[in-house]
Amino acid sequence: MAALSFVVFLSLVALTAPMIVGTRPIVCKYKGEIYFPATYYYWRILGLNTQAYKTEAVFTNDKFRGVYPGNLKKNDPDSWAIWPLVYQDPYRPIEADEWPGQPESPSGIEGAPNKYNLLGTNDDGVDVFAQMVHATQISLLVGFVSMGIAALIGVIVGALAGFYGGWIDVILSRVIEVVMCLPTLILILAVRSILDDITIWHLMVLIGATGWTGIARLTRAEFMKIREIEYVSAARSLGAGQMRLMFVHILRNALAPILVPISFGIASAILTEGALSFLGFGAPPPNPSWGTLLSEGRTRIQTMWWLVVYPGMAIFSTVLAYNLIGEGVQEATDPRTRETS
Amino acid sequence: MTDTLVQIDHLKTYFHTEDGVVKAVDDVSLHFDAGTTMGIVGESGSGKSVTSLTIMQLLAKSAHIESGSISFLGRDLVKLPETEMRKIRGKDIGMIFQEPMTSLNPVFTVGAQVTEAILLHQKVTKAEAKQRTIELFDEVGIPDPETRVNSYPHQMSGGQKQRVMIAMALSCNPKLLIADEPTTALDVTIQAQILDILRKLRDERGMAVLFITHDLGVIADIADHVTVMYRGKIVEQGDVVSIFENPQHPYTKGLLACRPRLDTQYKLLPTVDDFMEVATDDKGEAKIIEKFVDEKRLNELMTTGRGRLLHPKAELAAMGHPWEEGHHAGDAKMVADGEKPLLEVRDLHVHFPIRKGLFRGVAGHVKAVDGVSFNVYRGQTLGLVGESGCGKTTTGRAIIQLIRPTSGEMLFDGIDLAKLNPAASVFDSWPPTMLDRWSKSKQLRRLRRRFQIIFQDPYGSLNPRMTVQAAICEPMVIQGIGKAKERRDRAAALLEEVGLNASHLRRYPHEFSGGQRQRICIARALTVEPEFLICDESVSALDVSVQAQVLNLLKDLQLRRGLTYLFISHDLSVVKFMSDMIAVMNQGKIVEFGPADNIYANPQQEYTKRLISATPQDDLDHIRRRQAERKTALAARLSAV
Repeated sequence: MAALSFVVFLSLVALTAPMIVGTRPIVCKYKGEIYFPATYYYWRILGLNTQAYKTEAVFTNDKFRGVYPGNLKKNDPDSWAIWPLVYQDPYRPIEADEWPGQPESPSGIEGAPNKYNLLGTNDDGVDVFAQMVHATQISLLVGFVSMGIAALIGVIVGALAGFYGGWIDVILSRVIEVVMCLPTLILILAVRSILDDITIWHLMVLIGATGWTGIARLTRAEFMKIREIEYVSAARSLGAGQMRLMFVHILRNALAPILVPISFGIASAILTEGALSFLGFGAPPPNPSWGTLLSEGRTRIQTMWWLVVYPGMAIFSTVLAYNLIGEGVQEATDPRTRETS
Repeated sequence: MTDTLVQIDHLKTYFHTEDGVVKAVDDVSLHFDAGTTMGIVGESGSGKSVTSLTIMQLLAKSAHIESGSISFLGRDLVKLPETEMRKIRGKDIGMIFQEPMTSLNPVFTVGAQVTEAILLHQKVTKAEAKQRTIELFDEVGIPDPETRVNSYPHQMSGGQKQRVMIAMALSCNPKLLIADEPTTALDVTIQAQILDILRKLRDERGMAVLFITHDLGVIADIADHVTVMYRGKIVEQGDVVSIFENPQHPYTKGLLACRPRLDTQYKLLPTVDDFMEVATDDKGEAKIIEKFVDEKRLNELMTTGRGRLLHPKAELAAMGHPWEEGHHAGDAKMVADGEKPLLEVRDLHVHFPIRKGLFRGVAGHVKAVDGVSFNVYRGQTLGLVGESGCGKTTTGRAIIQLIRPTSGEMLFDGIDLAKLNPAASVFDSWPPTMLDRWSKSKQLRRLRRRFQIIFQDPYGSLNPRMTVQAAICEPMVIQGIGKAKERRDRAAALLEEVGLNASHLRRYPHEFSGGQRQRICIARALTVEPEFLICDESVSALDVSVQAQVLNLLKDLQLRRGLTYLFISHDLSVVKFMSDMIAVMNQGKIVEFGPADNIYANPQQEYTKRLISATPQDDLDHIRRRQAERKTALAARLSAV
């Protein structure tokens, strides 16, 4: 239960990241129009930079250079804005008096956690708290999208193999075994050397395309078990078609156990992304990611401990939470543990 | 021989669950002597098994013994610490369970498991223990014990495994043997053998047997004293003759009456509800109010319904049961000559391939159904009876096209179903002839409206994630009958027809009891207004009192809707009660086919005779004869000494 609420909390943080910390107003009125400059961050994290720049076209024209508080008032005295809770930016250091009374972001060893930089700053003076909050989006996105892809492939392959059996099962099982032998990390490194411009989406597709084997094997086993239960025979004798048998009768009953490898898979996808970013092969550098933060702190672990401790804790607790959820689902669906309760 | 071995006083075992306290055993007192059999009979949830587990102190964690005592060999088992109890278990008290398939460890030889049990409690050498195991195997009737001790459980049949379990329970000469439904999972002929062994061992060893079962026929066969339990309480106790001759409690009367006996004269079965009513008083305690079966109700039970509807004259003559005066029951009728059968099965074969080796090559075939032919006429009930593995269920499933038959014809109203059944999947036949497949499977789907099946397991045959309404409406959705509202109205009407309430529509299957679920399955099968219903062991998993109600419902529906049944069961007495004609199956073949009464009264084949004599009988003559035999045997043994 604690794990579940932690994941819900993380999702909330991810969804509202630009409203928690950022330098762009959530809503503002500028020259008689309403704007939502904070959406810039969403596009940026998704790697859609053109779209991101479009949201600030008006402000770029008026030479804001990404600094809103002073410029808004200067160019339009009637303007108003609602600001994020913390004025810090995940992509750049803050200059002195951008925000009334806030000093320039310190950098390097100076950037230990302080009143304005809650979790310190990195070498370039970029706020760690801002990066961590925005990186939540990447981590959850990687978890959900790559496991969504994996679940889709895994359930379909497993369902076909388990439902039809025979030579379909033989072929699909061999395919599963082959894919299982592919080392994800090395595959991603190889793909990276082919594609020049790798984005977070390539990573998610690759993690998803190699991570479905566990789901497929479990789905196959569940389908084989459930297709022999009498309610499936009963539906068959009523004239139900194969699609109806597979999706209305079998899949609905197989779903709970299939959730187990999916939630474990989310945890391992987050870890894989962290490892890739740590090695410098993850999301392109300006994008904040827990793994990138860790790798920045790697060489300065003795002096700049905050670069390692906070992202490390974030990765650790998120992965732990998903594993606990997976275990919880497993316990809830295991008939042996259910009976004693 | 008359020392009281076990004395249970005011025993109360309660389960503390999230939903409150369940009084599984509620103030139970009983006692029995060495050398006798105490039979506890009751339906599921009556507390009979919990009683035995309480004696063994093998209760689940959520159970707690509230009060009472169990005195055994001068000690109170309730107060005994676990370490002491462990010495008694397996040594002074042996136990055998219902499932011989799962009570043996599959990775050890059966001999090793019995030897281990001996070494655990007795100071003997390994060789002695092994010798003792062989003797025990011989005693429980396992042929060739010297080699059989080296077999693994999967190499033995269910009956033999149960014998191994008995040997293990007997390994340390227990004074008390607890047998919890030891024959329920076995075929009747095997059951008869196991009961024989238990009787013999009891008399030879002078041990007491606590025999727990739901089956009154088995109780009549083995018990000296009977305890009838109902909802955790003992409702009646007495020696076996007086219980069967003159039951006092309305529940016992109901239980005895609702069993379809082989010689029953009833057309509908009386149910427990005819004898008693359960009312709750202001304190929330259940109270049993006795009712009396009056002349009118008795008459109704005897005459409601029709007489047997037999095959046409020519076919009867060919079976060796020609239509003659006195040969058939007075109200039996024949199907008119020249009428076409509704279902005609011709030389049906279903073979399953045995696959072996790395490439799963076909190494041989199991001939599950090996040349079966029969006719069923409109409005008839054909009973298909046989022991497990005889092919009766496969026959039913092949007719309904759940299994693809290897060869043979199944003409349903003149249409051969086997020809309409496309291969199980598109990929089985290559290249697939899509158009042909499509038109045939459409035709078969339309035909499925006319024949339906009701399965054995009331817990497995409803999708746990569908509401009752969704389950009952599904056939109409598949067949494209009606609009959503019409479907719902029809589902409600059908639920009422099978004796449930329209308000049950929104609930999920797990909220219902076994009997109620089976009624829901019947309602689901009836939504498409079929003419032909296959009942595949449809009442086997139900308690006897519920079984009687469902059998009555099936008979009633047949009268009202003119249904034709293929009634498949292992239980000869149920089949005989339901059927007009009976086909006895053994090893994939029909060994005997004829009118139900004639098959019972005058069996022609050796196998049928064996089946009938193995079916437990609970008439008084039978019990008295059994007791007299035992007395002479005992006397003979005494004089020999």
